Amino acid sequence: MSDVIVIGAGPAGLAGAIACAEFGLKVTVLDEFFRPGGRLLGQLYEEPSGNWWNGIKEAERLQQKTKDLAIDVRCGVSVFNLEKDELLWNVHTNAGSMKASYVLVATGSAEYPIPVPGWTLPGVMSIGAAQVMTNVHRVQVGKKGIIIGANILAFAILTELQLAGIQVDRIVLPEKSPISQEAGEPEEVLKSLLSAAHLAPSLLLRFGSVFMKNGLLRKIALNFYPKGGMKISGTPLQLRKAAMEIVGKKQVEGVRVVDITPNGATVPGSDKIYEADFVCIAGGLYPLTEITAVAGCPFQFVPELGGHIPVHSEWMETPLQGLFVAGNITGIEGGKIAMAQGTVAGLAIVKRSGKEAGSIDRLLQKSVDYVRDVRQHAPIQFNPGVDEGRQTMKELWVSKYGKEGKVIS
Amino acid sequence: MNDKDLLVCRCEEISDEEIREAIRQGARTITGIKRRTRAGMGLCQGRTCQRLVARILAEETGMKPEDIDPGTDRPPVKPVSFGVLGGVAND
Ligand SMILES: Cc1cc2nc3c(=O)[nH]c(=O)nc-3n(C[C@H](O)[C@H](O)[C@H](O)COP(=O)(O)OP(=O)(O)OC[C@H]3O[C@@H](n4cnc5c(N)ncnc54)[C@H](O)[C@@H]3O)c2cc1C
Repeated sequence: MSDVIVIGAGPAGLAGAIACAEFGLKVTVLDEFFRPGGRLLGQLYEEPSGNWWNGIKEAERLQQKTKDLAIDVRCGVSVFNLEKDELLWNVHTNAGSMKASYVLVATGSAEYPIPVPGWTLPGVMSIGAAQVMTNVHRVQVGKKGIIIGANILAFAILTELQLAGIQVDRIVLPEKSPISQEAGEPEEVLKSLLSAAHLAPSLLLRFGSVFMKNGLLRKIALNFYPKGGMKISGTPLQLRKAAMEIVGKKQVEGVRVVDITPNGATVPGSDKIYEADFVCIAGGLYPLTEITAVAGCPFQFVPELGGHIPVHSEWMETPLQGLFVAGNITGIEGGKIAMAQGTVAGLAIVKRSGKEAGSIDRLLQKSVDYVRDVRQHAPIQFNPGVDEGRQTMKELWVSKYGKEGKVIS
Repeated sequence: MNDKDLLVCRCEEISDEEIREAIRQGARTITGIKRRTRAGMGLCQGRTCQRLVARILAEETGMKPEDIDPGTDRPPVKPVSFGVLGGVAND
């Protein structure tokens, strides 16, 4: 039997497993995908520093470490339930059930869909699916595509598609509605571009980031936003156009697009069909928390972190004894942060197991500080308010469970 | 986006209109909508549509997003065979 079961072999789960194993704990890692690495496997882009972030290399490095430490990594194993008996956590999977004293849930995030009429046509996919097909499976998703939804993930994956030689004709917004919410509001989108400055440099050069921070100036900027859009690495970003429908008989043939006003209202009679043979819908990310929900973990709604989040401490401990979380399940952030959080969770498990009484407190504190440090220098920030979100969760934890993580039951 | 036929739950082919109708009939939780329409009961177990159903519920009822309980997940959260559930595959 393992001491620790890690659910999810993304950067958070792998880093957590490694930290545990380095202190002699016996660890099993489960992932439903056929290879470890999680979302790292799709990531490839240039950081503002000029360095390239190659997620596949990072995943391979982590995987090599798990081998060196004799961590049992099992792929193709899907966890469908998690429950506790008197002493142990029971992890139920499609390959049978297992028990352990400690469980780290690092299931990452999933994409928000935005339903658009015609979105079930072959050739329509989420932007993340396009990333996986391009960078993991090396399959060409199409010849000429349109992205619906302008956010940081869309820009990052846009450059990846371009690197692979796939043409992306334009980026437009989804139609404004209570379902698409901020994604359909030009001003909200423009605001969020601030955190994507390095991926959309021409835009910011044109407007200046100070300009973007000020609400009134943002409105003015949108009034003068060029009709043809502004280019992000060669592809026009059209903040004043919205996709009304994906058209095609048996597969995608194009997108019907209308002009929109700065506040997102459609301009009647401005419809135009742009040809495309694939469409990516980019609705943003939300934490994949279902396993912690079935385990009975309490949740807190923190919009800056991506929605309902399992309550956790800075040590990545939940109020349920022996249950830890790390990575995107605790809030939407980049791969480096997920990795740093995984290390915190791993060290916290080591501390709780009593394996390393001496130095662990200091190491744990250092790892907590390191997460903040990485966050400050993160090349990709999904939500500009993430710091406040983290603070909200921290304060909630301290007020409910005390500083050093007193544990319920 | 008032297209009546617009599919929200792709696995079970449940339209936007069917979800709104379930809410008009009194459903006030994601689980309630699921029981009336099957939205979220397919292969992906709501990974795709659950957030959309929550937004439609908020729109129709004026509920706040924080008041819409996500903790209605029930095991199994992933599709499994009866054999596995029955313990045949247990080691
Ligand atoms: C489509 C997409 C694209 C992204 N692109 C970028 C990017 O370009 N740059 C960036 O910095 N960040 C990106 N991110 C954010 C990304 O989530 C983080 O970078 C990082 O990968 C999060 O690490 P994690 O370990 O928390 O989760 P993940 O890397 O998502 O890993 C979670 C793992 O858990 C597994 N899993 C989930 N549920 C189960 C279950 N029930 N049973 C078994 N296994 C399960 C999954 O298969 C997955 O391998 C992207 C996220 C998504 C969803």
